[in-house]
Amino acid sequence: MLRSLSYHRRAHLALALAVAVATAVLAGALVVGDSVRGSLRELALSRLGRVERVVVPERAFRDRLAGDWSREGAGTTAAALVVRASARHGESGSRASGVTVLGVDAAWEALFPGTPLSFAQPEGQLFPPVLLADALARELGAKVGDTVDLLLPTYSAIPRETLVGRQEARETVATLRLTVAGLQPERGLGGFRLDTRQAAPLNAVVERSRLARAIDARDRANLLVAGGGADRGATGPSSARTNAKAALARAVTLADLGLKLSTRGDEVIVESDRLVLDDALARRLATSVREAGATPTTVFTYLANRLRIGDREVPYSTVAALAQQAPAAGAAPAVGPDIAPFTVDGAPVSPLRPGEIALNAWAAEQLGAALGSQVELTYFAVGPRDALVERTATFRVASVVAMRGLGADPSLTPQLPGLSDAARMNEWDPPFPVNLARIHPVDEEYWSRYRAAPKAFVAFADGQRLWRSRFGAVSSLRLTPPAGTSAATFARTLEMTLPRAIGPAAGGLAVREVREEALSAGEGATDFAGLFLAFSFFLLAAALLLVALLEGLAVEARAREVGLLGALGFPARAVRRRLLAEAGAVSALGVLAGLGGAVGFAAVMLYGLRTWWVGAIGAPVLFLHVRPGTLLLGGGLSLAVVTITLAIAIARASRAPAARLLTGEVADPMRASKRSALAWWTMVTALAGAAVAVTAALGAGERAAPALAFAAGALVLVAGFAALADRWGRGRSWNRRRAFALHGPAWLAAGARNGARNRGRSLLAAALVACATFVLAVVAVNRGEADVDPLARGSGTGGFALVAESDVPIVADLNRRDVREDLGLVASGSEASQAALAGTTVIPFRLLPGEDASCLNLYQPRRPRVLGAPAEMIARGGFTFQALAKETPEPWRLLDEELGDGIVPAFADANSATWILKRGLGDDVVLADENGRPLRLRLVGLLKKSIFQSELLISERAFVRHFPNRGGASYFMIEAPGGEAQAREVGEALEAGLAPFGFDATSTAERLRAFAAVEGAYLQTFQALGGLGLLLGTVGLAVVLLRNALERRRELAMMSALGFRRAQLGGLVLAENLVLLAAGLALGLLAAAAATAPHLAAQAARVPWQPLGLTLLAVLAVGCLASLSAVAATVRSPLVHALKEE
Amino acid sequence: MSVAEPAAAPATDSPAVEARNLVKSFALGDTTLRVIAGVSLALRAGETAAITGPSGSGKSTLLHMLGTLERPTSGELRIAGADPFALSERALARLRNERIGFVFQDHHLLPQYTVLENMLLPALAFGRVDAARERRGRELLARVGLEARAAHRPAELSGGERQRAAIARALLLSPRLLLCDEPTGQLDAKSAAAVVELLLELHSDPAAAATAPALVVVTHNAAVAARLGRRFELVEGRCYEA
Repeated sequence: MLRSLSYHRRAHLALALAVAVATAVLAGALVVGDSVRGSLRELALSRLGRVERVVVPERAFRDRLAGDWSREGAGTTAAALVVRASARHGESGSRASGVTVLGVDAAWEALFPGTPLSFAQPEGQLFPPVLLADALARELGAKVGDTVDLLLPTYSAIPRETLVGRQEARETVATLRLTVAGLQPERGLGGFRLDTRQAAPLNAVVERSRLARAIDARDRANLLVAGGGADRGATGPSSARTNAKAALARAVTLADLGLKLSTRGDEVIVESDRLVLDDALARRLATSVREAGATPTTVFTYLANRLRIGDREVPYSTVAALAQQAPAAGAAPAVGPDIAPFTVDGAPVSPLRPGEIALNAWAAEQLGAALGSQVELTYFAVGPRDALVERTATFRVASVVAMRGLGADPSLTPQLPGLSDAARMNEWDPPFPVNLARIHPVDEEYWSRYRAAPKAFVAFADGQRLWRSRFGAVSSLRLTPPAGTSAATFARTLEMTLPRAIGPAAGGLAVREVREEALSAGEGATDFAGLFLAFSFFLLAAALLLVALLEGLAVEARAREVGLLGALGFPARAVRRRLLAEAGAVSALGVLAGLGGAVGFAAVMLYGLRTWWVGAIGAPVLFLHVRPGTLLLGGGLSLAVVTITLAIAIARASRAPAARLLTGEVADPMRASKRSALAWWTMVTALAGAAVAVTAALGAGERAAPALAFAAGALVLVAGFAALADRWGRGRSWNRRRAFALHGPAWLAAGARNGARNRGRSLLAAALVACATFVLAVVAVNRGEADVDPLARGSGTGGFALVAESDVPIVADLNRRDVREDLGLVASGSEASQAALAGTTVIPFRLLPGEDASCLNLYQPRRPRVLGAPAEMIARGGFTFQALAKETPEPWRLLDEELGDGIVPAFADANSATWILKRGLGDDVVLADENGRPLRLRLVGLLKKSIFQSELLISERAFVRHFPNRGGASYFMIEAPGGEAQAREVGEALEAGLAPFGFDATSTAERLRAFAAVEGAYLQTFQALGGLGLLLGTVGLAVVLLRNALERRRELAMMSALGFRRAQLGGLVLAENLVLLAAGLALGLLAAAAATAPHLAAQAARVPWQPLGLTLLAVLAVGCLASLSAVAATVRSPLVHALKEE
Repeated sequence: MSVAEPAAAPATDSPAVEARNLVKSFALGDTTLRVIAGVSLALRAGETAAITGPSGSGKSTLLHMLGTLERPTSGELRIAGADPFALSERALARLRNERIGFVFQDHHLLPQYTVLENMLLPALAFGRVDAARERRGRELLARVGLEARAAHRPAELSGGERQRAAIARALLLSPRLLLCDEPTGQLDAKSAAAVVELLLELHSDPAAAATAPALVVVTHNAAVAARLGRRFELVEGRCYEA
């Protein structure tokens, strides 16, 4: 075999090279996959430092919890105050939104070794120091020593969307001026982020206490991290996880859960620092205290603007609803017997029924009330967008309560900001409008004596019905301690036991294994190995076809040898085995060489992803990671695929009878014509099928059309192959003499007829070119932008001109004139922009921060961003759906459907759902709600190429139900009148006016283009690799031609003897190649036309003729060059020698 | 169609082919192999000759030199009185096309063309296939008994039929010199006899006596050689006329 290997070394070298190319492509794609995973994992871990787990509740907790957690066994811990903000360069004024401000302390140094975190302010430096992440410094153009302003949302424990939590829009933002003391690299604290995304975060690191002071969150933190020297116990990570959770449960106090205890008389009062206890927490509290032996009374106190009977009124009074047990979950709480204060006669008040009211004696006197009087109670309700709506309810006076005990108890009212601490009523500074002129001396006297003691009591059911908000309907629990236990003693007991009884999760304090999540997300949303295998499909196919061609030709060249061995009695199988062993040995060497090529191929692809196709991944973060196991797998796969290919090629080339092989021939010259009927019928059937598929695609829905169109293209290819097989297979009759010449078009015709000499080879070569042309042309057409009006409601923009996000949630309704005036929106901007602004509608969406679900994120998103679409968006509609759970004229209404407990209907962009989230219509994306309970977002609609590719959409109603603490809107869709210029002006005006909120508006068309750029970059990659496949195909073509020409050297020599010149002979060979090339190109284009016709007809897309034409011209040129070299090689050698080889 | 450069005009009294002291050597590594060591011969139109000799004696090489397919290392060759190797490539090709006909041991019919198309192939080298050419082609096919096979492809013919088609092709343009290299080498005795008969019949056709070419046949077959007018034997590169 060694001799044979040596003797046929040239053929073997060619085979080894082709095998090397196939291996490089196949194993290279696997290495690309490894590299992407490795790079993402490495990046994610470098950004986490030594952090392994975190606690990120919706509410802030004591900053000392970190130390307590560590002491309880969580290992190295640290606390941080993290807020989303925007930044402004002090000197240049350049801005950056989406900044993450990390308020840290020295404890973080242990988790990010090598990162000195000294925040000492050097003498002479005016402002406190800040460390900027490299990415933020670049964005701002800031360097060490520069001044930077951070615009920060102020902290408030009280939800902003409650009557007492409201604040003027401007009051929610604080500014902190800092000096840049250093830069933080992306791989470290500068890149610290809990969501997984490859883009570098815009981090600003400041001293936690400084940040806390600035945003009024002293001694608070909202992020706990643990890691480094965590107590892993004896059994490794899972034990460490369990230990960390248990340690947190031990460390948490009532303050961390936002609860506070106080005593009044014989009772213990449990209140929330949010002024309202949510239903779940209230329920757990009630259960826990009952278990502790206490009797709880549920209190819900609200503020009435006025109590009135006839023309007599009492302004600004608190009204309480009391029940002896906590309400059950849901809107219809189980109400127990109402707490009854005592009447002025000393008798207990009868339980209040719905519609009844009990006035205290003071209020009854002021109103001149008698039993049975009708009292009008007027109060503020918080409507959508922070709007206060005054409502009135009427009650019948059922009793009058004595001014003692509960009848004059200010502790029934929680500490209201701006009210409770005022010495006099006319000093009130509440966050809602009050008319101090309505306050009379008698009211001041009551305030002075009884403070905020409720002046009236209503049935608990009425209180819940009238004043319930999504944050809850309980102000406090009043606990009667078990018999024999004083209130003070019981309170001390509860301080110790209650946190563990209700658990940290009740306060949203759950441990997240963030390192594990990063490792898991590092697997990536996209299987790049599969992607690059698909991209390289034609390159791989071309390489394998080349392997088959070369081996087939090599065996054909050895036909006499094979025939002789057969004649000598060697079994055909043994001969084939020998040939296969020889080719296998060569292939093994090719595979080894190809593995080196695989690393090179992967390196080039990754370089491409960092440079030419960086649009596909957004950031140049991918680097080469080679794992020997992957190379082995790639090599093994290649060897297997190549061996199969070789076996087929050898079997085909050696199946001729020995007698024919001995003459040096492989093909049966009589065989071709027998197949023409089959070819003809195949052609007719395939063409008919293609016509049916195109027609069906034109009428089919979005889902079926692409498959049908592609099928049409494939059928045209089949028809074309059959036509070529038919043409090259049939004998020519003399009546086609016009084609029998060697000048003008007939020269090409002669070339076409020469293609019939070896139909199989010619078909293979033309098919390769046709397939690659088909793919390139289809991709090129699909890359063409659709002529879609960006302002059409059915387009991907939904008809919105702008999309915006704010760093600080905005509660106010930006469509209200008074809000715009308050924010200075009306006053800013030019006259033209004012006119445009006046006609602008802003639709605000609530935003649950999370991971980008679009193709811009390489990581596998586990917690995708969620938007809450408000009612006006649902009513407005717009966009186009690729698929809906059920056909309806108003698809957005599907978001309002009730699907059962814990299931919420959701929309996602079809591309994001399919490729990134790996979900389809009807599938669930499972998240955790604010209390850690699983929340299933069921996909009931898939949007087609919309701007909502980064997030999931649910209704605002469902959003506030499951994420009640996510106050305000951070995402905005903006309809602006006029064209693009006006929209830009509107965007600029809004950005300027809402700068403190970090408002950043972008053209929706631009946002769509950014998504399209990813698709474009992938298609570009596909095109580039498809182009390489095509080039390899043309090399195959040249090989076929050269082989054909070499086989016909005697024939050419004979023609030379007949008087044909070398140029004529060369021309003839060239014509043959051109015909093969042109046949492949034309067939590929025809098939592409069939496949893209429905797309072009449906979307009026523009065909990018120029790049498409250039690509095909390049292919033609390379093909011609390759064939010219084959021609030159053919006619260069003296042909006459061939005549002597008879 | 481009205007063809005229082939060298033959002198009517010149031999159809004349070789003077032709030598052909090949380099084989450091040594030189002298295959033809000074051959001289002359044949007039209408004459027939056989070249015989053992295998490897240089018969085919001599024939290729006579047919201008191979340039001699030294010596002089004249076709119709003119030196063909002094012509341009185009003129030499035209000379070969119009004045010399070849019949090889292998028929060298192109498999993708019909028998008639193969026959008409020489007409394409410097022109088109017009009606006259086609008529001439069909006549020749009739003469060689293949009229009914005109539309067939070579694969559908027997060995003898293929060789007869090749002879007809060689005669299409009425050459002045017809060179046959072992034309019966791959045929059985019966077919070989028929082919030789046909060659001689076509050559001695009284209707074309005025244009009868000089016929040179390289053969191993003594019987074939015996039927030709002159006989040359090549021995160790030298040519002896019997």
